[in-house]
Amino acid sequence: MKLKMDGICKSFGSNEVLKSVGFQLSEGEICALLGENGAGKSTLMNILGGVLQPDSGEILLDGKKMKFDSPAQSLDAGIAFIHQELNLINDLPIYENMFIGRELKKKNGLLDHKRMIEETRRVFERMGLTLDPKEMVRNLDASYKQIVEISRALLMNAKIIIMDEPTTSLTDPEIEKVFTILRQLREQQVGIVFISHKLREVMEICDSYTVLRDGVMVASGSVKDVTTSDLARFMVGHDVRTEKLGSGVQRGEERLSLHGVTQEPYFRDVDLTAYAGEVLGVTGLLGDGRSELFSAVFGAESISEGEIRLGGKPVRITSTWQAKQLGIAYVPRNRKENGIIKDMSILENGTIVSWRELMRHGLLDHVRQRAQFEKEKAALHIKMGKESDSITSLSGGNQQKVVLAKWLSCEPKVLILDNPTQGVDVGAKEEIYDIILKLAKEGVAVIVLSSEAQEIIRVCDRALVMYHGAIVGEVRGETMTEHEIMRLATGG
Amino acid sequence: MEKTNKKGFLAWFTDNWKRKPLFSTGIALLVMVILQILALGFDYASFGEWFAAFSRNWINILRNNAGVGIIALGMTFVIISGGIDLAVGSTMVAIGAVIMSLIDSGPSGLLAGLGITGIPAYIIAIAIGVLLGVLLGECTGVLVAHFGMPPFIATLGMMKICRSVTQQCMQKASPTVPKAFLKISNARIGGEIILPILYWLALAVILHVVSKHTAFGRQVFAIGSNERTSKLSGVNVRAVKRRVYALMGALVAVTAVIQIARIGSMDYANAGSGYEMDAIAAVIIGGTSMSGGRGSVVGSVLGMLILAVMNNLLNLIGVPPFLREAFKGIIVIGAVLLQKKEKAS
Repeated sequence: MKLKMDGICKSFGSNEVLKSVGFQLSEGEICALLGENGAGKSTLMNILGGVLQPDSGEILLDGKKMKFDSPAQSLDAGIAFIHQELNLINDLPIYENMFIGRELKKKNGLLDHKRMIEETRRVFERMGLTLDPKEMVRNLDASYKQIVEISRALLMNAKIIIMDEPTTSLTDPEIEKVFTILRQLREQQVGIVFISHKLREVMEICDSYTVLRDGVMVASGSVKDVTTSDLARFMVGHDVRTEKLGSGVQRGEERLSLHGVTQEPYFRDVDLTAYAGEVLGVTGLLGDGRSELFSAVFGAESISEGEIRLGGKPVRITSTWQAKQLGIAYVPRNRKENGIIKDMSILENGTIVSWRELMRHGLLDHVRQRAQFEKEKAALHIKMGKESDSITSLSGGNQQKVVLAKWLSCEPKVLILDNPTQGVDVGAKEEIYDIILKLAKEGVAVIVLSSEAQEIIRVCDRALVMYHGAIVGEVRGETMTEHEIMRLATGG
Repeated sequence: MEKTNKKGFLAWFTDNWKRKPLFSTGIALLVMVILQILALGFDYASFGEWFAAFSRNWINILRNNAGVGIIALGMTFVIISGGIDLAVGSTMVAIGAVIMSLIDSGPSGLLAGLGITGIPAYIIAIAIGVLLGVLLGECTGVLVAHFGMPPFIATLGMMKICRSVTQQCMQKASPTVPKAFLKISNARIGGEIILPILYWLALAVILHVVSKHTAFGRQVFAIGSNERTSKLSGVNVRAVKRRVYALMGALVAVTAVIQIARIGSMDYANAGSGYEMDAIAAVIIGGTSMSGGRGSVVGSVLGMLILAVMNNLLNLIGVPPFLREAFKGIIVIGAVLLQKKEKAS
């Protein structure tokens, strides 16, 4: 089924989000839809998916003009939208998830489990999968959950599947599994819209690309005619650096050291040292234990054995506020659940760590509070409206900067960043890397946890690789390559 | 763009109705008061007479509800933090019993036995009462924050324990409250008994400031909205939770003092029963969300007033007492439905 979107315009109030945007997709084509947060990708796809209606412009399927007033109409036309947050119910088996809302019933009105299982099995065969339809979704790993969503789209006879950031929570081998399925779908003439920030994956799996910037389509074409830096440049509007940054600073004194730190089953016998002025990376595949390890260092979880030293002195960290007093700062992963308070304003989110210190004569000193945030806002180049606006009004990258801001005001000695550029677009990513390096130059011991080898190589001076809860190696200089990191991360 | 004055007013009205929850609560109160005025009637010789009747009615309403109103202030913090406190009525009775035993001017009075009477005795008794309230609150707080017990269960337990223990201990006792103590609630100002109202007002102002302008107040909101993020931002979640229940305990103690000083005794079996539900209703009607993280002290004052005025209104109309409680239920349900609609829009 050929898709053509032409001259699509959409405004929210005075905010022009899409300015006469065009988009094309043929059958059996995987097209990447690229753009920074706020460029208009979600709005365009929401229009295709019937969630929003365009102010003007038309949608043509096989040359026929279509109008989608609701998601149901878009679905009926054969367009399936797989969102970033998967819509699966963990406590139900796969086949019930496949038919949720459209359950097959027997003549007497009761559920026809046998038919649902059979239909599910047939779809799986079509995709060459050996999954048991009766398996509970809870027991599936992230890649299979993604695959189940794709299967559900096929079951509903989707000819076009929109996938929004399908690989953010997947490890490399899991991504390969999903890509195999996508290639099969391509064989079967299904068209796929692939929305992603991961340009290298785009190069690997996509046939074509369309780039949006500030609501305008700025580039489109065949993937084989461009490189990732071309794509990045289209998205951002200027050249994006890809060479290794590195702090180039002399390493200072020992700030944090771990000796034999253990908490089964997450991590065991961990020895490491972080120095002032150095950016230390910690990487590995899903399940390596690095997030749990540094959660414990920050006092959010406990350790059963081992010693932690700060500046050479042994400490027992039993709570997060104690860790904060000791000069440890922590920017967690999954910003929405762990990093921001969505009911609060930008200002409050940006200063929560310092509220107690901002008290004077029994009351919060709002003047100092605003001044403190202004300072960080300038230093981090946070793009925002009013301080009193809700934190949710900001893009992912700017939200992350606010999370950083709240910690930087305390001038921490050790800064731990877990997945700092998760859900952040290319432009803001670069700004965050610059901020990390600046902090290292100012003498902070920065620890970056990430699953993206490229990111580690780009911004860290050296990196530790973890596998199943243990540190299996260190890479630096010559040995800091993707190949070596992957080798260690897979246990080799 | 305002084409006519009427359209401009409508737009301003709907905009505020959607965006500010306090606005809709205020409007609801206004409607109630208008109905109340109508119910009061205009069968008076002069405006002065009508005004006197109106004021006296209002002073009665406010004075009768000051006790629960103060508890509703504390309940606001508890609910915003994501918790709930069912034990307030029973805790009040326990603290009341202790205070009465201390100021008892009869033979079994504890302080009188030590030779302490009069104002010093009252001060000591009140201080101990507040301390006891804080202590009981900390107990609840420890159960909730350190043992991870759901607040509903923890305070349900406290509720049962406090009242029955108090009833048991005070079976044989019948303390006499000295007349001077009654002045705390009953001293007349300008010919009227309004001290409880002033206490309520003062505490409302103080707690409003605490909720908006202290680190503690903001941390209560933060924890109620997202406990995990708060913890990961260095907030001492356990301490804040404990303090919320301790604050509730202190306010319950204040209410106990006011109630004892009003009537000179306390019915351990029945005093305070239903206070928790009334306080929760006032807080919810005032716009605070049960899921925590959102709400206001001002809202709870307005919510309390709405309940009080409605009760008075129904009384004036002649609705039988049992049915008046039904109306309370209807308003609470209506308030929450309105809240959900506001969130969705």
